[in-house]
Amino acid sequence: MNLLLGQILNGIATGMLYALMGLGLSLITGVLNIPNFAHGALFAVGAYLLVSVVGVLGNFWLGLIVAPIGVALLGLVIEWAGVRRLYAAGHDYQLLFTFGLALILNELIIVIWGPVGISHLPPALLRGGVDLGFTFYPKYRLFVMGMAGALVVLTWLFLEKTKYGAIMRAGIENKEMVSLLGIDIQMLFTVAFALGAYLAGIAGALTAPIRGLSPGMGVDMLGIAFVVVALGGLGNLLGAIAAGLLIGVAQAVVAAYWTEASTAVIFAVMAAVLLVRPQGLFGIR
Amino acid sequence: MSNLKRRNILKAGALGAAAAGFGFPSILRAQPKEIVMLGLWDQTGAFADVGPLNDRGMRMALEERGMKVLGKPIKYITRDGATQAGTSTRRAEEAIDGEGARFMIGPWSSGVALAVSEVAKRKKVLHLFSGGTEDISGARCHRYSFQWAASPYTAAKTVVDNFMKANPKAKRWHLLVADYAFGWSVEKYIKEVGKAHGLEFVGADRHPLGEREFSNYVQKAAANRPDVVAMINFGGDAVAGAREIFNFGLTPKLPLIMCWSSGVEELIQLAPEIRDNLWVGTNFYYTANTPVAKAFVKSYQAKFKTPPGYAPSAAYSMTRMLLAAFDKAKSDDVQAVIKALEGLEVNDLLGRMKVDGATHQTLRPYFFLRCKPKAQMKHELDLADIVATGDTPLPKQYAACKDIGGF
Repeated sequence: MNLLLGQILNGIATGMLYALMGLGLSLITGVLNIPNFAHGALFAVGAYLLVSVVGVLGNFWLGLIVAPIGVALLGLVIEWAGVRRLYAAGHDYQLLFTFGLALILNELIIVIWGPVGISHLPPALLRGGVDLGFTFYPKYRLFVMGMAGALVVLTWLFLEKTKYGAIMRAGIENKEMVSLLGIDIQMLFTVAFALGAYLAGIAGALTAPIRGLSPGMGVDMLGIAFVVVALGGLGNLLGAIAAGLLIGVAQAVVAAYWTEASTAVIFAVMAAVLLVRPQGLFGIR
Repeated sequence: MSNLKRRNILKAGALGAAAAGFGFPSILRAQPKEIVMLGLWDQTGAFADVGPLNDRGMRMALEERGMKVLGKPIKYITRDGATQAGTSTRRAEEAIDGEGARFMIGPWSSGVALAVSEVAKRKKVLHLFSGGTEDISGARCHRYSFQWAASPYTAAKTVVDNFMKANPKAKRWHLLVADYAFGWSVEKYIKEVGKAHGLEFVGADRHPLGEREFSNYVQKAAANRPDVVAMINFGGDAVAGAREIFNFGLTPKLPLIMCWSSGVEELIQLAPEIRDNLWVGTNFYYTANTPVAKAFVKSYQAKFKTPPGYAPSAAYSMTRMLLAAFDKAKSDDVQAVIKALEGLEVNDLLGRMKVDGATHQTLRPYFFLRCKPKAQMKHELDLADIVATGDTPLPKQYAACKDIGGF
């Protein structure tokens, strides 16, 4: 029983990170209608930027603020210089562009930070663990759970409760109508891409002390992010959050009893849900 | 009559020479002049990061000899097998048929190498391999393939015996095992050797190759309250596992063993705090005290800045063994070189090394290391001490290679 509780806790912590990734990807896919294959690479860049910023400034918290902003700026540039020119070009070109971009970012990481993996320890304050009664748990994971949870809630509040969030959701529903209402749709796309990149970047930065860094780290995460988006329903933000948590917990609980299947279960859950609900958990189309 | 004959021969010769010069299959071109050696090193797939390191080692061994053996030039070619059996066997066959390769080394993955070994047998080319499956020199042994890495039994015996000598009370073991050929082989012998020490295996969880989320496994391990956690996995898996075991506070309170590590390549990816109370079994460590190892490490470091781990060292040493067999055979005929390799004894990279003619297993020492706490490190690469080496060969009762067969 204690083991199961511990695993569920693990699943929620991991699931929160999956939700962050899925939320960002869902936002980009929903608003811009573009399959962003560079989302995993942005995740990796977030992690590497954190390590560099912490190396220079010597402060983890500053790194956690600066690194994702750096990734958001990178997202801004990517949208402005590349994605923007491909809105009319169809999915093939968008796919090729984002996929190529992912490869370029991956190689740039190798050029700048080297091919060998790096370990990055949590800040001194969050090292070690606490006894929760039923299990011993790392402090840093509890922090990640809280931080990712807060980010998910903040993003959701922004999208649901603010005027700009409403415009963004409207953009997902019907782009023509939004632009007919006199709203700068181009600006909306840029902001959505940058926000999606920010979420990928902060997920990467938060993950760095848990999983360490290696140039291929984004590839693993990209697959999971797409599963989360498909499972939650394309462009459905609440769905992405629920799907992220579902996959994280399913992975952890299965690992408690049948470790060999811990990777396969991600895809098994997706296949099972899509068989019953082809539009995803909360999707309508 | 004789005149005509001579003219015909001259004509045929001229034609042949012209054809060979103008795009006839290079196999015809290659055979008489040069010896073609194939390095089957992955540039893509799960071991994409390892292939370039293998290539460095093989190239260095060939360059030491001026790319020549028995006075003939060596043509070194490499192919990317993508860490997949299908791609690797196809590329190997293409290199054998198209380029005339008769000697091949690699690839890095045990599972893939077993498939490549079948190609070697069918095409009758000499094949050297280093990795954790016991089948190349065991159940699926044949005359054309050779194994450089220590037998999983030798590795398990070295690790368990020497760890227990240093930690006699650590009897409750939890194993974390990569779920493929290599993991299963080493796990089997760790359990077997553990019997003599009265070990209790409180858990043994298998994880898929390429696993990155280890929290679930570590929590299970912690719940079993072991005295020690032993991992039988490799590369990125081992690094991710060690990191999470530290994050959950198991190390440094409990010792962690990496049973089959790549050595320095894995260790430098871990922060010094994570290496505290970490014990490591490996096929090569760069402080190995032999003249060949010292010279190799020195020139490798001069070239590539970092010291060599298991991957470049294995490729380097396999190539040297192959060249030594050429010297012994005084021939570049595949079967003659195989006969020379069988029973070959050299004083090389690891010290005394001998190829068992009956199984094609290299009998050689396996290394057991203890990592140093941060305070004791003299420089950045002063990561571990070699505590012991072991070379106990696989006992007869476990040997699965009953008959190596003919050519």
